[in-house]
Amino acid sequence: MSRRILNLILGCASVCVGLTPMRAQEFKLFERTVQVHGFASQGFIYTNDNNWLTMNTSQGSAAFTDFGLNMSTQITDKFRIGAQGYDRDLGQLGQYHPSLDWAVADYRFKSWFGIRGGKVKTTLGLFTDTQDLDFLHQFALLPQSVYPTDLRDATLAHVGGDIYGNILLQHHLGDLAYTVYAGHRSDSKYSGYSYFLTKYGVTSSSFAGLQYGSDLRWSTPLKGLLIGASRMNEEITDNGNLSLGPGIDFTSYSAVSRADWTNQFYGEYVIRKLQVDSEYRRYLHDQIVSPDSLETISDVRGWYISGCYRITKRLALGSYYSRYSITSVAGGAAAPFFPDQTDTSLPANHVYDKVISGRVDLNKFWSAKVEGHFMNGYGNSSFPDGFYPLANPGGFKPNTNALVLKTSVNF
Amino acid sequence: MKNLRLLPLVAFLVLLAPVRARAAQVKIIANPSVSTDAISGRELKSVFLEEKNSLSDGSHVEPVLLKSGPVHESFLRQYLSRTDDDLRNYYRVLVFTGRGSMPKELGSDAEVVAYVAGRKGAIGYVSAEAGVDGVKTLAITDGRSPVERRVITRIEPEYPETLKRLNIGGIVRLQVTIAPKGNVENVQLLGGNPILGESAVAAVKQWVYATAPSRTRIEVSVPFNPQP
Repeated sequence: MSRRILNLILGCASVCVGLTPMRAQEFKLFERTVQVHGFASQGFIYTNDNNWLTMNTSQGSAAFTDFGLNMSTQITDKFRIGAQGYDRDLGQLGQYHPSLDWAVADYRFKSWFGIRGGKVKTTLGLFTDTQDLDFLHQFALLPQSVYPTDLRDATLAHVGGDIYGNILLQHHLGDLAYTVYAGHRSDSKYSGYSYFLTKYGVTSSSFAGLQYGSDLRWSTPLKGLLIGASRMNEEITDNGNLSLGPGIDFTSYSAVSRADWTNQFYGEYVIRKLQVDSEYRRYLHDQIVSPDSLETISDVRGWYISGCYRITKRLALGSYYSRYSITSVAGGAAAPFFPDQTDTSLPANHVYDKVISGRVDLNKFWSAKVEGHFMNGYGNSSFPDGFYPLANPGGFKPNTNALVLKTSVNF
Repeated sequence: MKNLRLLPLVAFLVLLAPVRARAAQVKIIANPSVSTDAISGRELKSVFLEEKNSLSDGSHVEPVLLKSGPVHESFLRQYLSRTDDDLRNYYRVLVFTGRGSMPKELGSDAEVVAYVAGRKGAIGYVSAEAGVDGVKTLAITDGRSPVERRVITRIEPEYPETLKRLNIGGIVRLQVTIAPKGNVENVQLLGGNPILGESAVAAVKQWVYATAPSRTRIEVSVPFNPQP
């Protein structure tokens, strides 16, 4: 009840803030200008059947709130520092436990060579680093096949460093932007995967490890066309406790990744008021689970194509088609308890989502969206994608239609 | 009565004025600490998109924007190929992912000139008619050649007496091709009043530049101010 009231208050606050002209704030500290920026969003989801994104959406749920605040300053011509705090509530996830979203020290030697360190947003595909920033996107929910909001922690940031730069190509061949990174990733205890594991009696105490990769994107000579590719490798360990049933003592649990990687290929084309995006992501998750001597290999593939068109300065319409599929195989002593899932035509192994969306920009700082999702499948085998058994104790139905409303403000 | 006789001429001149002349004319200005006198359109775009914080000669630069208005819109369209909303979203990505900051935004030409004059490395844009005390005006090259071309002999264009009397002025934009020896090979009118353009072309054809290893094509803006 208290969370419902909190959501209502935050929703009203964001609307009220949107009604007033907002300006980025600045103040002086040690004779340097410090910029302050922030954002907040409030959503509501209603589904006709399955509960979605750990919310009680079949009754209608507004447990869909997030907000962030950042400060940054330029120390010298080439050196900049900044940090952003972030908090969210998404059904059973987040639960208003604040986190450090990013905290960066950035030194740019040349346009083609810079380094940044700290907690850094990971560059992966078109929108990984901006997926929380609702006001930037046409859609209230980005295509969940590639940007699952319940699993945002998995790809969002790393504590480590990036090397990056922009290279203007000769002969008017466009420009290349590159990023190479390595660091330590750590998921929140309130993330989707930890919540998913509770189905098996696992309580995660940490889900973290090494993450490294690179991204290369080419702004082509064809005006408005961007293409790129990203690669990410991970060595993740999940530690926690396993309860095999009521009255049985907890035993320690660990899952160590043998080879986890993600490949992502993407393209974006912007011409006048039309923007078309498409991405493909494949994520391979291969882990050894103790104490059961179980190896599970999950192969998650997703792609989407989206388009949005700005009808007027205030109104834009958009649509996307998103396909998610998963196969999983198990080996080892406990494998018989985890039958292989290789048929992606089954609703349990895919989610196909058709979406239409409208966005209204009420002013430069405040937008509102309405969106319809028409989904087939619930993609819930060895890895989650929005649909969780714990949120659907009565089982899943194959189709889900959803109405999503969302408003966001920023300054 | 005398003014009425001039009416057909005024109407004729208005009809002659190209449609593009309705777009606000923009001048790129920089703090004197910026060592170059010319910048390619591509490099300028990189500076304003915060992809570059130094020019090829090593001098530090930072962009300064107008908040709104026709000059702002014209600059975005001409040099960044973006709308105000697009650019705002672009900066928001930088700001909210820790990869950049929101550039300084100012409300008028005078404020931009004053800020650029006092801020090391600042680059901004103002109306072509704005006063530019304390700042330098940058020429825009097409970026095919990084070679900077300095004018050695400059012939001022003739201001047609009738247009001057009628208070008709503005900026004429020319594309100038300069030979390695420094003589002007070709001049093309890009924008502005065609009568003023004719006069500007005639003058610029006589200009002489410093020698360079290769042929260069640059954009030159020639102002005509009826009330100097």
